[in-house]
Amino acid sequence: MSSEQFIQGIIGGLAIGCIYSLIALGITIIIRATEILHFAQGELMMIGAMAGISAMWMVDLPFWVVLLVGMIGGGVAAVTIELSIYRTLRTLRVPLINIIISTLGVSLILQNAARLIWGSEPLRYPPLFHTRGIDIAGFAISPQLIWIVVLGFVMMAGLQAFFRFTRLGIAMQAAAQDPEAAQLMGISVKRTTTYTFVVAGVMAGAAGVLLGSLFFASFNMGFLSGIKAFVAATLGGLGSLTGAMLGGIAFGLIETFSGVLISTAYKDAVGMVILIAILLLAPSGIFIRAGRRI
Amino acid sequence: MQSATIRILVLVLLVAAPFIQTNTYWQHIFGVALIGAILALGLQLLVGMAGLLSLGQGAFYGIGAYVSAVLTLHFGVPFGLAFLTAGLVAAISSLLLVPIVKLPSSSLAVATLGFNIIIYLFMLNEEWATGGSYGMLNVPLPSFFGFKFTTERDLYFLILAVTAIIYFGLDRLAHSRFGRALRAISQDEDAARACGISIIRYKSKCFLVAAFTAGIAGSLYAHHARYLNPNDFTFNKSIEILIMVVVGGLGSLPGAVIGAIIIVLMPEFLRSSGEWRLILFGALVVVLMGVSRGGIAGLAPMVLRFVPGLRNSAGKTVESVEARR
Repeated sequence: MSSEQFIQGIIGGLAIGCIYSLIALGITIIIRATEILHFAQGELMMIGAMAGISAMWMVDLPFWVVLLVGMIGGGVAAVTIELSIYRTLRTLRVPLINIIISTLGVSLILQNAARLIWGSEPLRYPPLFHTRGIDIAGFAISPQLIWIVVLGFVMMAGLQAFFRFTRLGIAMQAAAQDPEAAQLMGISVKRTTTYTFVVAGVMAGAAGVLLGSLFFASFNMGFLSGIKAFVAATLGGLGSLTGAMLGGIAFGLIETFSGVLISTAYKDAVGMVILIAILLLAPSGIFIRAGRRI
Repeated sequence: MQSATIRILVLVLLVAAPFIQTNTYWQHIFGVALIGAILALGLQLLVGMAGLLSLGQGAFYGIGAYVSAVLTLHFGVPFGLAFLTAGLVAAISSLLLVPIVKLPSSSLAVATLGFNIIIYLFMLNEEWATGGSYGMLNVPLPSFFGFKFTTERDLYFLILAVTAIIYFGLDRLAHSRFGRALRAISQDEDAARACGISIIRYKSKCFLVAAFTAGIAGSLYAHHARYLNPNDFTFNKSIEILIMVVVGGLGSLPGAVIGAIIIVLMPEFLRSSGEWRLILFGALVVVLMGVSRGGIAGLAPMVLRFVPGLRNSAGKTVESVEARR
């Protein structure tokens, strides 16, 4: 492996890892707030990608507007399913496993609705960036990958700041940690749960535009990415924000390098073997110290 | 007594099905539904009784299917032997999961999912063994002591017989010491341990039995469909089996059978709705999850309550369902 391949592997792995992190963050905050394993998170990402590409078909937009449209698309889709389905199910007090299965139903609905609307052919994103490679230390690096890494990190930092410094963010954290105590402090847990889905949808929507710009947008792009993000969240320690971010990035790097070093056919398998190994050696994930959530 | 009558009624209905519907396509679908029922029964033991959320049953199903197909196609092994070997190989490969059975449920779900992806990639890429993405063609029809199962109806009865045996076996198992231990584990692991139940050993045995069941279901699938492709054994299959179990009702064996039949037949009935088919299917899954706590098995007594004259017996069913939890 040459040093050029190595640098490109690092940047490529970071870029795809950031996308997994954004989806994994959504999965994590939903688990923290509601204990639901949200299998439709990948589909929210797909909706974001589709919303972005549809906006671009109508008018020629600068990249950041497309990203914003994708985020709004993901957020709107998330809040719609939360209010119409998950909240209803919670009100009916069905067991958790039923809600988890219903997210699989939601994933099926979103996938096939998207197929009806946008067709089953993969859609190519118009070039969003200059395609000429940037020269870094003598190596040609695609500016698109660098943008994805930068934007990914900015959004993750933004999310951290939101949870640490804003009133709503702190209320959401409190409601997730101890719903009853939060309720007594005057926080509407019902509302923070809905906001949790909005934030998760926005993150997934952003991931969708980034992933779409890298490859294609298609109705079935979501499920496998969602599963991988789920694995990434577990890798970092299910339920930890930092864990989800680092887990996503670690999974992206593992996937990229095992594709280069071992075999492209088995790159997903390598990620899964590492996942199982980590679950055995450090059941709470690699980035959690002795059960403490960071 | 009441539930025994219902069981006999269902059995009679299942035996009569291929005589009522003589179209071979439908008879084939009925067979597929019963194979789904075997898979759901196996997973019911894991999820419904032991509370182990496994998303890896599709892998054992695939292992069983390929073992059976390779043995009969390339080595000329008779069906009966290949059938049993398929179950055994699947069960033995479940021993790979022994280290991970101690994980908490969400991690266990991800780990078994990962296992399924690994096995799928093996089936897809090791062309010398599985034919890769081209799949395996012309898997021989099953035969047993010289009797060849050639028509769809014969195949259906073969599958029905296996389903009945599996059902009976798991029913016995659920009411044995083993079944009670599993239920104790699913309710309170620490208390179960304090009562002298070896958690890891019971959970591993549970995986072993479920994997054996999935393996023989895979063998039946191989000789029923006669064409294997790795795409039939992705984690989507595992999730589909989980949907069958939850739709049917967690913890209920008849529920698993009914859930499987519904999940396999529903897309067929929705076929006329064309492109809306899978959207409707997803919506139905969501609605079913909402209307009833215990899936179809929990819904049946609710419906029966509205039928006058059945009120007493329906009440009893509710009690027995509650008692079983």
